[in-house]
Amino acid sequence: MKAGVSRTGLRITTILVSMVVGVVAVILCCCMLFFLNRYRSAMVQGALTSSAQAVSQVSSTVGTYLQGMRQAMTVVEQSMMESAENRDRLLNAFLTFRPDVVAVTGYSPSGKLLDCWCLGHEPREPVYQNLSFDLERARSAGGAYMTAPHVESLFEGYYPWVVTMTIPLVSGNQTAWVSLDLSFSNISDHINTVSIGQRGYCFLMDKQGNIIYHPQQQLLYAGLKAEDTTALAALEDGSYADDTVIYSLTSVAGSDWRVVGVSYVDELVNRSFQEMLRLSLSLFAVLLAAAVLISVLLSRLLARPLRGLAGAMERFESDADHFTYRPVGGTREVQELSGSFEHMVGRIQQLMTTVREEEVNLRKTELKALQAQINPHFLYNTLDSIAWMCEQGRNADAVKMIHALARLFRISISKGHELIPIAKEIEHAESYLQIQKYRYKNQFTYQFDVDPACLEYYCNKITLQPIIENAINHGLDLLVDEGCITVQVRQDGQDIVFTVRDNGVGMSEEMIRTVLKQGQQDRTGIGIRNVNDRLQIYFGRQYGLHITSEPDEGTCVEIRMPKIQEGDYETK
Amino acid sequence: MRRNRGAAACAALLCLLSGCAGGTDYAQQHTVALVVKSTETEFWLSVFAGAEAAATEYNLTLSITGPDAEEDYAAQNQMVDEAVRAGAQAIVFSAIDYENNAVAIDAASRAGVKIVAIDSNVASDAVSTYIGTDNYAAGQMAAQAALDRVDGTLRVGVVNYDISSANGQERERGAREVLTASGRAEIVSVINTLAEAEYAKADTAALLREHPEINVLIAFNEPTSVGAARAVEQLGLADSVFLVGFDSNVATVDALQEGTVDALVVQNPYAMGYLGVESAYRLLSGQTGELARIVDTSTQIVDRENLFEEDSQKVLFAFDLD
Repeated sequence: MKAGVSRTGLRITTILVSMVVGVVAVILCCCMLFFLNRYRSAMVQGALTSSAQAVSQVSSTVGTYLQGMRQAMTVVEQSMMESAENRDRLLNAFLTFRPDVVAVTGYSPSGKLLDCWCLGHEPREPVYQNLSFDLERARSAGGAYMTAPHVESLFEGYYPWVVTMTIPLVSGNQTAWVSLDLSFSNISDHINTVSIGQRGYCFLMDKQGNIIYHPQQQLLYAGLKAEDTTALAALEDGSYADDTVIYSLTSVAGSDWRVVGVSYVDELVNRSFQEMLRLSLSLFAVLLAAAVLISVLLSRLLARPLRGLAGAMERFESDADHFTYRPVGGTREVQELSGSFEHMVGRIQQLMTTVREEEVNLRKTELKALQAQINPHFLYNTLDSIAWMCEQGRNADAVKMIHALARLFRISISKGHELIPIAKEIEHAESYLQIQKYRYKNQFTYQFDVDPACLEYYCNKITLQPIIENAINHGLDLLVDEGCITVQVRQDGQDIVFTVRDNGVGMSEEMIRTVLKQGQQDRTGIGIRNVNDRLQIYFGRQYGLHITSEPDEGTCVEIRMPKIQEGDYETK
Repeated sequence: MRRNRGAAACAALLCLLSGCAGGTDYAQQHTVALVVKSTETEFWLSVFAGAEAAATEYNLTLSITGPDAEEDYAAQNQMVDEAVRAGAQAIVFSAIDYENNAVAIDAASRAGVKIVAIDSNVASDAVSTYIGTDNYAAGQMAAQAALDRVDGTLRVGVVNYDISSANGQERERGAREVLTASGRAEIVSVINTLAEAEYAKADTAALLREHPEINVLIAFNEPTSVGAARAVEQLGLADSVFLVGFDSNVATVDALQEGTVDALVVQNPYAMGYLGVESAYRLLSGQTGELARIVDTSTQIVDRENLFEEDSQKVLFAFDLD
């Protein structure tokens, strides 16, 4: 490719890296989103489950508490059937046995406090307000009923929280109702210690949403905290998660109480979710970096040998002759490509050599054909001249002509050799000039000025003759005065320079160009162009003819060729 | 080879990252010291209950200290110093002496300790937030309770505690304001007694003997209320003297039922303890934006009428103090 041509298209590295990174990023994104989504829902599910478990434990504890209360009530009910003496004994034993029972009280049909059994405390006189018994409620309940937790208000200086169960007594007993106050502190302690997560807690409410017990009762009361119990009361048992809070509700068996667990999504889910998110993001970054690294390495592995190959092709393109190929390493595909290219380079260089050889051969063949053409024509004319000389009785001249002709042909053929010693070439030129001088009736003279050191070197045969022919035909034929042709042979460094100079009419620039490019189309024989071509094919572009001409002054043709020893070019 | 090395580097990086991530997960436990005026009265026990609930909720290490006598500000200052030395990051403080406790609190603040005041404030700029009763309003409530329930002219005897306590003085100021404004009340005498029931009883009895015309007594904290109630009972003046007390305990609740005490101004100590520690946590965890300078915990009047109403029960009788 030439330097000026702009390159379009992306490098393989860029494409590969961006593709791999893109694909990896997309896949990772999808995986991450999917994973995080699943993780979060699993976390929420786990939080819901643990919340539900905590709540159901509290619920069963409260249920057991209420169950225990009913059992205690059965004992109390049985005791009440006994005689007064037995009853006191039984109940006192019962109270000793069950320290969580705060008091047992009996009431008349009109709601008057008749008896009170309590270890260590006597009811105050008068009782200001009795929270353990409510006549109206007892009457309307029609059976056993249970109160919400309240303060025991019967005693002086003793105000434990209790839950009261009241039952009506049958038969003609004077005690119509009996109430059992069971300490609530076990339950409140239990609820206080329940924690769901770090900040989660449980509280008790009834079916209408009234809070029965809340570990942070005082805060609720002070308005510093609020529970939306109305909304919670409307919910079925189960676990509910919104954005910030998880609510779990469970009804307590055998009562209208419900346990509500409150826990925070933030600490149960969000914190570990964010942790996971952070971890995933760093994993994402690491994997992406790994993908970039790997794809860069991979593309290097692919692209570098390809670039090497491309460079080699460029070098080959700019100079095919002197290109030597060094194979490029890499993956097998690249190696195969490299091998093919190497093979191709070899083939092309071989073809180039073949083409050049064929060209030379062609020229040689052409030359030989031309030589074959020229000779008869020249031969007829010369033979005519000889015949004419014989007729005139100029036998001595005829003999000279015939000798010259014979020499000319002998050298022309030279046993088929293309290159002949310069001495021979000079001899050839001299023979030709001799013949032509006879034919042109001494219209011109000629002389040779040859450096004897040059004689041993070789040159292409029939190099001078076409030049001399041109000088005679072009320069001297039209000349009125006597012409003169000088042939000079000199060394010039590593070259030999032949110079053929005439004093003829000269040639215009245009004529020189025509002579060098097209040859003499009107003539047969080896033209000047052929001589030039032949020299250049044999020795290279820097060799060949150089014509300088001055109208009416003469023409000078310079022939330059390298010094050739015997055997140098015999193969050609 | 190179890829293997890359993979090893990636794995190492990953371990490092997860290690770091794991390290940040468990924030260290903050240490909070609660320094109060007394460790005896029910009022303070309720404060402790609230503080402990908050400490559990926010995963804090909580230490609780208070002097034996509710006038010993020097001991309190020493406790503050000790808490700082012991590495407390925040102190939830209830000042015995508005002025004299400031020294220790300022010193603690200079040591980088966050300060939250509950119940009784202290004269220091280091206090980030104050949580407690609006004492002036509480004093007004106490006076108003007497005005609402007593007909005719009120001749008021005030039983206040340590004169250097900002709370007591604020309450007294509120009460005085309302009484004066009513036009039918006069303050016969003000006594400042020690915040212990026996001393308060003796001083109140002396006051009642000296000023038999007194028909309304207002006592401004728990021990003085108990002491005043005992004095009234001892002198058999339950019917003729209308006693307004502060805070609740078993004794005053009993007295309320018996008629010795006629009204109680009940504060919310649990909320003070809880919110005090919660605020300390917020300060330590940098959520200062949610903190108000002053948080008013609610105050309520309890008399015989509403003594056993559901709300009153929950205020007066702590679950944990059976």
